[in-house]
Amino acid sequence: MWRNYVTVGIRALAKSRTYAFINIFGLAMGMTACLMILLYVRYELSYDRWIPGSDRIHQVQSWYKSQETGQEAQLQMTPYISGKSIRDSFPQIESEVYVSNNNPVFSRDGQATSTEDYLWVDGNFLDVVPLPMVRGDASALGQVNSAVLTQSEARRRFGTDDVIGQTMTLITRGVARDFRITGILQDLPRNSHFRINSLIRIDYPAYLGDTPDVLTCWGCQNGWVYVKLRPGADAGAIEAGLPAWEDRAIPDETAGEARFNAGDDQDWHIVNLEDVHLGRAQGGAMSPGNDRTTIITFAIVALLILGMAVVNFTNLATARASQRAREVALRKALGATRRQLVMQFVGESIIVAVVAMLIALALLELLVPPFASFLEADLQVAYLGADGIGLPVLGLVLVVGILGGLYPAFFLSRFEPASVLKANKSSSETPGTGRLRSALVVAQFAVSIGLIICTAIIYGQTVYARTVDPGFRRDHILQVDELSRYQLLDKGEMLAERMRRVPGVEAAGLTTIGVATDNQNNTGVMVPGRPDPVTIGIYQVDEGFLGAMGMELVAGRWFDAARPMDDMTLPYPPEPASQRALAARGGNIVINELAARRLGFEDPARAVGRTFRAGLIQNELGLVPVTVIGVVRDARFRSVRQPMDPIMFQNTNTGHSNIIVRFNGDPAQVRAGIERVWKGVTTEVPFEAEFSDGIMAELYEAEDARAQTFAAFAMLAIVVACLGLFGLAAFTAERRTKEIGIRKVLGARTRDIVRLLAWQFSKPIIVANLIAWPVAWWMMRDWLNNFDARIDLGPAPFVLAGLIALAIAIGTIATHAIRVARANPIHALRYE
Amino acid sequence: MKEVDSIVGNEGNRLMLSMRELSRVYRTDTVETTALDGIFLDVADGEFVAIMGPSGCGKSTLLNVIGMLDSPSSGSYVFNGTEVAGLTESKLADFRKRNIGFIFQSFNLVDELTVRENIELALLYHNVPAAERRARVDEVMDKVGIAHRAKHRPSQLSGGQQQRVAVARALVASPKLILADEPTGNLDTAHGEEVMKMLQALNAEGSTIVMVTHSPSHADYAGRVVNMLDGRILVEHRRAA
Ligand SMILES: Nc1ncnc2c1ncn2[C@@H]1O[C@H](COP(=O)(O)OP(=O)(O)OP(=O)(O)O)[C@@H](O)[C@H]1O
Ligand SMILES: [Mg+2]
Repeated sequence: MWRNYVTVGIRALAKSRTYAFINIFGLAMGMTACLMILLYVRYELSYDRWIPGSDRIHQVQSWYKSQETGQEAQLQMTPYISGKSIRDSFPQIESEVYVSNNNPVFSRDGQATSTEDYLWVDGNFLDVVPLPMVRGDASALGQVNSAVLTQSEARRRFGTDDVIGQTMTLITRGVARDFRITGILQDLPRNSHFRINSLIRIDYPAYLGDTPDVLTCWGCQNGWVYVKLRPGADAGAIEAGLPAWEDRAIPDETAGEARFNAGDDQDWHIVNLEDVHLGRAQGGAMSPGNDRTTIITFAIVALLILGMAVVNFTNLATARASQRAREVALRKALGATRRQLVMQFVGESIIVAVVAMLIALALLELLVPPFASFLEADLQVAYLGADGIGLPVLGLVLVVGILGGLYPAFFLSRFEPASVLKANKSSSETPGTGRLRSALVVAQFAVSIGLIICTAIIYGQTVYARTVDPGFRRDHILQVDELSRYQLLDKGEMLAERMRRVPGVEAAGLTTIGVATDNQNNTGVMVPGRPDPVTIGIYQVDEGFLGAMGMELVAGRWFDAARPMDDMTLPYPPEPASQRALAARGGNIVINELAARRLGFEDPARAVGRTFRAGLIQNELGLVPVTVIGVVRDARFRSVRQPMDPIMFQNTNTGHSNIIVRFNGDPAQVRAGIERVWKGVTTEVPFEAEFSDGIMAELYEAEDARAQTFAAFAMLAIVVACLGLFGLAAFTAERRTKEIGIRKVLGARTRDIVRLLAWQFSKPIIVANLIAWPVAWWMMRDWLNNFDARIDLGPAPFVLAGLIALAIAIGTIATHAIRVARANPIHALRYE
Repeated sequence: MKEVDSIVGNEGNRLMLSMRELSRVYRTDTVETTALDGIFLDVADGEFVAIMGPSGCGKSTLLNVIGMLDSPSSGSYVFNGTEVAGLTESKLADFRKRNIGFIFQSFNLVDELTVRENIELALLYHNVPAAERRARVDEVMDKVGIAHRAKHRPSQLSGGQQQRVAVARALVASPKLILADEPTGNLDTAHGEEVMKMLQALNAEGSTIVMVTHSPSHADYAGRVVNMLDGRILVEHRRAA
């Protein structure tokens, strides 16, 4: 019996190759997409789950919401003091550790090299987060001044991982410190939010001895806090207790006459390690996270593709049903029950699903490596085991086979043998199936059109993000980093001056904000007549910054080295006397247009000459009167996802983090010249510089990759939809040959027929447009709202998508239509 | 040959069509079938011609060539004063729709359309305004007595009724020539007679008709009978007027 079914099934497929190809290939594509996304989603969900006891380990996060503007920022970082306070307030917490990233300079044999992901820890990190080790044990960081390295970092630095007991010298804050290596970590897999090359235990309070404020500052989110709960402790209870803790623990502060509390704008959360990567808070993350929406979107698109393939399957099966009506009738006449017939057809569709799956697995092996490297994910195809795809593969085959086969099976098995055998109306159809097919085609195309629209808008936005006028001249900038090193504290001016003399350099300026520097520094400004301070970003620059950055002055003037009031340099480390002197004297600032508006001036020119009092020094020493001397055009220093900053520029001679170099010569030569200048001033701080194009590309790298992945899946969906349409067109053309013959006999020309068929297939697409447009509009409006600078949601992508779909559909059916329309009608009408 | 030529169609009327030494050869990979072999045939305006002959002798092929659904392999075919052999496909389509109506043995109605729509189909490609289309369809439906079935689907009609719809469709565009290939082949005797009477009436009103039939009694309705064998015209005889 089964043999007979298999034979018949395979012959039925072999008989109509187009049909078989469309079904099998379409399903294979859908399955491949599903499996790829499955691997990806599983991978994204696997983050940090491999850490032993990960369910007990949590990250403390500060979620920021400005009471003034409503702006939100969810940070994975939190102040040092909050970790200590939470630890002491909740007995369920077994251990706590503070981690910060200072990128010390690695020094060996007189050579200084920069480091990446070297983390300071203020306790035994391994107690809280038991990372697997190659050498040493969990007590490795039990003592101050001990350090662990990952295996590959040890090999990179020392040529071997057998370095336990050796000394590692790191230069930080201008001081060379020695650490004893006490353990070697296994290299962390990629599916971790941790980025660690080395963990270094320091005496944190002593380390920050010259800036002790940082240890008690409730508004300074400079590092990460991890806590491990006692076994059985409920994280939810801690989370629920945090608001009350905030009220208890955070003291009010005063700055001049203003009273505020760091808890006003901040809420604390504890987030399980496993949820950090996909969590809501992605600010200040150790590694770029992902958001659930993206992953869910991908999953939905993959399911849509599979769904479309299944729809093709169903559609073509019912469309061709009449061709198999005779077989069904005969089997029934010979005594087959309806159940047997249903089994037969479902069995056939499972065969198709199996063949499709084999192709899909081959495609998967082929496509996963490039897909993984593209998404920078560690995807592996394994068949067995917990992470294996064996089970999903089996499930997919069954689901697709049964889903795709069930409707046609019931439909086919319903034929009345008597009427089929007698009437011989092979070409006419059972009423109703045509309508179902149209509905399914409409649905498929609605999805495709929606995806084209989304792709177009996402693409448009990605391009826009990189090309939108940032308010400064972004081209021809070389941005030099690492200036904030202790060794270079007072060398900035000298470096900038020497760099200006490098051939090809137009201008150079010092700053604490540049192209996509993630440094963020806000302060309160008191506006006369308003009780609460206005939050404005405060950044230190020098006189050369405006020209080097290519910013525009819209009112007033820029800083001038000859005017003493323009200079607000303070000594470092901070000393109260000079701070008090500054508070007494005041100083000049330049603000941007947005800051002017926030301070109450729609017309920037009117802000010039006004004086405000701003928090520029330690709060208890009072506010500093600042006078606006100029207003610059708003500039976008961050990703377009972030809102524009209101900014106040302060002119100082020291304390900058970057040098902005504007050049017009050959980039490579300029860079070499700049590097020579740098090396001439310091050998202790490595030279790090990047061109603005590179910075921008990096800034949007992940976004671009996601956009491209989305586009690829959208294309796949469209291909599957077209395959289905192609099949239907072939079938329809075939079914309608007689009718077309009659029309031709009655005088229709080839082009009349082509038009007729084109219209028949255009109608569902027009309807699909009407469905897809509002849905896509609504989704894309939401998506675009994630961006502060975004493209307008105009009609172009919608019309374009509609036309593309129409063109694709007509192109797909054109060959059939033309072939049928050209055929001599006497063939069609000869035998009936 | 000459002899045949001399007796062929002249009732004193203008010639509607005339074929000279017309052949149609079907070539497939292996065989070459000469379906029409040097046909000489004239049909005058207003004639009713019946074509008879054994199965496979080329009757349908001849009718198709007359109807310009098929093109001759060689020879000349003048329709209404125009040489048709060698015209392009779209020219032929144009000629066809202006001049010729078809009736088939198997009716060839479109199952998805109603009776009215099936008939209307013949006017769709003629740029006839909708209102006039309606009027003309109504008129022919009355004429063939199918008006009460206007909204039915072909599958809901008897064979005779279906053929009447097909006749109405052939008529509606007022063609100069009506071609019927075994119009009664699928009908019982009573329905067959009914259709033949209708064709006769049409002929009486001035339509030119060429009909293929296997039934000598139906051939009697025609004014002239052409007998064929193996792709050739054998003899003709005219009914006494
Ligand atoms: N498309 C074709 N290809 C090859 N040979 C064909 C084709 N059409 C018809 N023939 C051959 O041409 C010859 C004439 O066929 P035609 O259909 O004209 O016969 P007929 O007289 O109408 O027969 P019947 O009375 O059975 O309808 C036959 O031998 C047939 O096999
Ligand atoms: Mg025939």
